[in-house]
Amino acid sequence: MPALLEGRGIAVRFGGVAALKGVDLSVDPGEVLSVIGPNGAGKTTLFNVITGRVRPTQGSVLYRAQPIDKLAPFRIAQLGVVRTFQKTEVFGALPLVEGVAAGALARNDPDPAERAREALATVGLYGKAHLTAAQLSYGDQRLLEIAQALAADPKVLLLDEPASGMNHQESRRIVDLIVQLRARGLAVILVEHNMHVVMTISDRVIVINYGEKIADGKPDHVRNDARVIEAYLGAPQAAHAVAR
Amino acid sequence: MRGLPVAAALIVVALCAVPLVVHDEYFLHLFIVSGVFVIAVLGLDLIVGYVGQLSLAHAAFFAMGAYTSALLFVRLKWSMWAGLPAAALLVGLIALVLGSVILRTRGHRFIIITVVFAELMKLVATNWVDMTRGFMGLPGLAVPPLWIPGIGTIDITAKSHFYYVVLFAAIVAFLLCRALVRSSVGHKFVLVRENEPLAESLGISAFRYSMIAFVVGAALAAAAGSLYAHYVGFVSPDLFNFSYVTIMLIMVILGGKGTLVGPALGAVIFTFLPELLREASHWRMIVFATILIVATLFMPKGIIFPLITHLVPRNWRLRNARAA
Repeated sequence: MPALLEGRGIAVRFGGVAALKGVDLSVDPGEVLSVIGPNGAGKTTLFNVITGRVRPTQGSVLYRAQPIDKLAPFRIAQLGVVRTFQKTEVFGALPLVEGVAAGALARNDPDPAERAREALATVGLYGKAHLTAAQLSYGDQRLLEIAQALAADPKVLLLDEPASGMNHQESRRIVDLIVQLRARGLAVILVEHNMHVVMTISDRVIVINYGEKIADGKPDHVRNDARVIEAYLGAPQAAHAVAR
Repeated sequence: MRGLPVAAALIVVALCAVPLVVHDEYFLHLFIVSGVFVIAVLGLDLIVGYVGQLSLAHAAFFAMGAYTSALLFVRLKWSMWAGLPAAALLVGLIALVLGSVILRTRGHRFIIITVVFAELMKLVATNWVDMTRGFMGLPGLAVPPLWIPGIGTIDITAKSHFYYVVLFAAIVAFLLCRALVRSSVGHKFVLVRENEPLAESLGISAFRYSMIAFVVGAALAAAAGSLYAHYVGFVSPDLFNFSYVTIMLIMVILGGKGTLVGPALGAVIFTFLPELLREASHWRMIVFATILIVATLFMPKGIIFPLITHLVPRNWRLRNARAA
């Protein structure tokens, strides 16, 4: 049986720069796949390719065995592949319910406001539904982003550093939430720098360095991989990548 | 909340009574012109206020509607009753074609292309002399009689009669726009305006919803232009002048964009204000300009709603807050 979402040999060139060089990945329902790597490794570019914001120079993205890499971003979202952003993106001036209803409106749900309230309840923001997004704390805004994505009824949820800038307690909430979503059968693709979060909840981890996949496997396996250790800690080129 | 339908009914009654109270032809003329602007400006509010694209082509749509209706009258003897819907349809189609190119961009590029489009249309109206008579314009447009079932044919050339035609059209335009912005389509307009990349990432096509606002807005401008052409009886390339789009934007932005009611009130206020300031003779444009600059700088929500906030008693507002 083909994977729910599959990337085959994804390569992206921006002018002379190769941002991704033939990355393969796949994810199935009820699975958390983490994508890690130093800054500038190409993780966000990979998200942009999967969600249609960047066209791959080579390779393809298949969702339910159908290619989606030529579709517009909104079409991909309607199919059920939905993302959050590294930099917080919310509808700042609108009441939470109106903003979160976006995803439900987009797929012509008969009761978008109700779907929005359900999504807010899932992330634990139901009690703040009367506020506007701009009135929330940073941590709550990151949860709000996940609620926004959930109201779009995703089958594959891509989270771009959901725990960045969060304290220990807040990132615990994110971990609990992802575990809960996995139990519902969602496929989650996670980009995250917080290694504690990654190692706790990932079913599989892929590591990208300079646009290349250098490791793919269970968290324990990846943690002890010599190339991964080198990419993060060892060689001068890793330090260079971080500096960029 | 219960007060609002009553207030709306009172306003409609008051508007219906205008020709009975106002006998001065000049003031009646201002009421008619402001009604025409209300229709055009409601359309502009969909584009500027709801999907958040600053279109400077709106006055060109207005002028194109006026020309379409005028040409159909002069060349084919179509009355306004046929010319108005034809103008709205044709200009809507032109906006669809234009939009399919320019609505893929946002911000300054979109603004510049709309200016270029408006100037091009002005050149067409000026230089296609065989068709439009160029600078000489098209004179002799007439207001057709109105046939009402059960009553018969009424002559509506008098200002006090034509006023009701414009009032009716403005109310229809308002109800149409209100239904649109309160629907799920209107909700998507606002989401696109507030955060386009996010709306797209959640499954909303910014292009499609910007297009709906752009086409409906253009059609309303064209309908207003058609009414104006037949009312004034003359069209010329002056209709494409930049001052028209400026005044329309002033009506929308200072009226309070993205509210429909605000720009509609703005259309009335900014039709009358320059005329009322006439008392101040040569100072009037300076006074008008000062009001504009101060309001633009210090009143981002427009001037009407902050004024209401100051004037309406606080407890009344709180009781009615949910309806607002």
